[in-house]
Amino acid sequence: MGTQMQEDGQGSTVASQPILSVRAVQKTYKLGRVKVPVLHGVDLNVQQGEWVTILGASGSGKSTLLHLLGGLDRPDKNSKSPASVKYQDRELTRLSKRALDRYRADDVGFVFQFYHLLPELSVLQNVTIGGMIKYGRLGYRTHRKEIVDRASSLLDRFGLSHRLKHRPAELSGGERQRVAIARALINEPSLLLADEPTGNLDVKTGASILDAIIEHRRDAGLTLVMVTHDERIAEKSDRVIRLVDGRVTDA
Amino acid sequence: MLAMAAVMLSVATILITWSVMGGFLKTLIESGKTLVGDVAIVWPNVGFAHYDDLIERLEADEMIDSATPTIETFGLIKLPDDRVELISIKGIDAASYSAVTGFADTMWWKPITEPTSKDHAGADLRLDPENKAFFAEIEENGKSMSRFNTKTGLYEPAGVLGIEVTGLNARQVWGGYIPQSPLRALPDGGTEWIDTFMPRDGTVGLTILALDSQGHPIDPVTRTIPIANEFQSGLYEVDQGTIFVPLHVIQKMLRLHEAQRIERVKDTDNPFAVEVDPVTGELGPKMKEIIGIDPARVTTVFVRGIDGVELAEIHQRVRDIYEEFAQAHEGEVPESYLMQNQIKTWEEMNKTMISAVKKETGLVLFIFGIVSFTTVFLVLAIFWSMATEKTKDIGVLRALGASTPGIAWLWIRYGASIGIVGSVTGTAMGYWVVMNINEIHDWMGEQFGLVIWDPRQYYFVEIPSAVEPDKALIVFVIGILTCVVGAAIPAIHSARMDPVKALRFE
Ligand SMILES: Nc1ncnc2c1ncn2[C@@H]1O[C@H](COP(=O)(O)OP(=O)(O)O)[C@@H](O)[C@H]1O
Ligand SMILES: [Mg+2]
Repeated sequence: MGTQMQEDGQGSTVASQPILSVRAVQKTYKLGRVKVPVLHGVDLNVQQGEWVTILGASGSGKSTLLHLLGGLDRPDKNSKSPASVKYQDRELTRLSKRALDRYRADDVGFVFQFYHLLPELSVLQNVTIGGMIKYGRLGYRTHRKEIVDRASSLLDRFGLSHRLKHRPAELSGGERQRVAIARALINEPSLLLADEPTGNLDVKTGASILDAIIEHRRDAGLTLVMVTHDERIAEKSDRVIRLVDGRVTDA
Repeated sequence: MLAMAAVMLSVATILITWSVMGGFLKTLIESGKTLVGDVAIVWPNVGFAHYDDLIERLEADEMIDSATPTIETFGLIKLPDDRVELISIKGIDAASYSAVTGFADTMWWKPITEPTSKDHAGADLRLDPENKAFFAEIEENGKSMSRFNTKTGLYEPAGVLGIEVTGLNARQVWGGYIPQSPLRALPDGGTEWIDTFMPRDGTVGLTILALDSQGHPIDPVTRTIPIANEFQSGLYEVDQGTIFVPLHVIQKMLRLHEAQRIERVKDTDNPFAVEVDPVTGELGPKMKEIIGIDPARVTTVFVRGIDGVELAEIHQRVRDIYEEFAQAHEGEVPESYLMQNQIKTWEEMNKTMISAVKKETGLVLFIFGIVSFTTVFLVLAIFWSMATEKTKDIGVLRALGASTPGIAWLWIRYGASIGIVGSVTGTAMGYWVVMNINEIHDWMGEQFGLVIWDPRQYYFVEIPSAVEPDKALIVFVIGILTCVVGAAIPAIHSARMDPVKALRFE
């Protein structure tokens, strides 16, 4: 553990303050009576503003880890070596349900491989819904203009300003993923969790999506944890880690 | 959309069924009230005396509008085609009876200017301007219970017969009657047309068993009664088994009229006593002695309270008045404590009918319960499948930070809005259908020959077409609640769903 921290400290473009620190995280799924252990004790530090890429075979638990980082799921309870997922000074494993909801709404942005847009909503609504969730129904009214402006400008940056009224079904895969990224960024999170964001796109589109993320990251000082299969993408990132046998090994 | 249509249809169906059923029951109960007023004082068979005084006392009370003496009994009626049937006989005083009940309005044969609601072709004989004078006379006859006898040149007391009694009036699809001239079987094996229109020249034979003042039967009495008019009360049982006869006629037949009380003189002290026979004027041995006057009696006094007073209050007031009356005539009329259970409201008099009606209402409500229950399940099933369909979206919302109650609230709001829209449209639709149910029914009859409601078989001409706002409100609220309850379970289910599983859901 100690060595890893030292290595993190040597990272060139990275600030020294860890925004995420993960200790002894285990995760076991239960399929009926069968226990499926996925993570066997993951330790990981992510510095503020760092871009970490997670590589690993399919089924190695990358998505699982990302869900834990995003507070969508909780690690196994283990009294011998208690798991810890720390975001800044907050211990996620000890947060209440409501506090976890807040954490996801305020501090984290999620991007998924299959975009996961809401089919009934327009492009613009798909983005603003994040703001609606953050501020609640009443709060949204007072922040409406600000949120809509921000959503429009994000969509504009991603070249979607002419698509605001369209439904997701009318867009191409690349366009949909850009809408999803805009949605993840609407509440100005400091942590973006992307689960194979280019995995479903052709190489060229994938590259343009990546450029959009990178550009925004640079501007906003965003911390990025990205799961991918694409070694070329991994090369561009600050640091690459691998998930093997439910543990982190540095690349 | 589907859920909304389901809610709308359920709400409309329940409202329509409830309104129409309720309407029938209400019509039925109200018809039951038509001929009995509010409260009746009943001393059956032998009747009670001094009713004039009782009526005077009743009518003097500010809570009581009017009261009328009546005799209720049973007898045999001989109809124009020689059939003999059991009949309920009511001896009434036409004028005061009409003041207490709706009697005058039940007269069927009278001139009318507007066709009845279903008589689109104007087939009703009563509409014909040529018949106007004739029907006007008959109506007057019915109201005064008399008929002019051309042979004697006198008005004779006449009866008013239930419209269904003779079977000579054929009920039509449009709800009215056309008089018939059927064949009568003769003893020699031949037949003969009965060319009779009851209110013009028809008569019936009435046979009743009189009772003496002790209640013992005396010889049966038969009288021929001309018919002045025929009535329709709206209750089939009444209309096919009742005749109204002037009170004094029935009093005489039953020997309940005012009479000299006579005692046969047998082994008295003076066997040689003599008297003058009032008929022959001759002197003869004394056979009988007049020992007093037997006052006239009636079996029933019907009472009508003034409008707007509770039935129970009128009931109590009548009891109180009877008590005073009984004290004033102690020993001559039934005592007040015996009479307490004999003073009945119209509801008590129609108890069997009303309790049957109430049972039906209960049954209907029970069926509604099941229907509503089914609707809850329907909405639940629809919402469940919607929630399943939206599993992934729920996962996404959770990933964006939406809370469990937030998502549950989303579904419940959705359910409530479906419930509100469905209930509003359903209630509106139900209202519209009930309001226009007769037109819709007529239209169906014209378009598809589908006549569910045939006045030849059912006794109501029209399908009741009033919606009670109370009922509409209840159905409306239940509609919304149903949706909320139906949405709540899927809402809680989907909100509780593990967001990670929801995201992985395919
Ligand atoms: N809800 C679940 N129940 C049981 N097993 C699961 C569940 N979710 C994931 N798994 C299993 O956990 C392992 C890791 O899954 P995942 O994190 O999606 O891997 P990756 O994203 O690296 O492909 C896989 O073998 C998968 O089948
Ligand atoms: Mg995965």
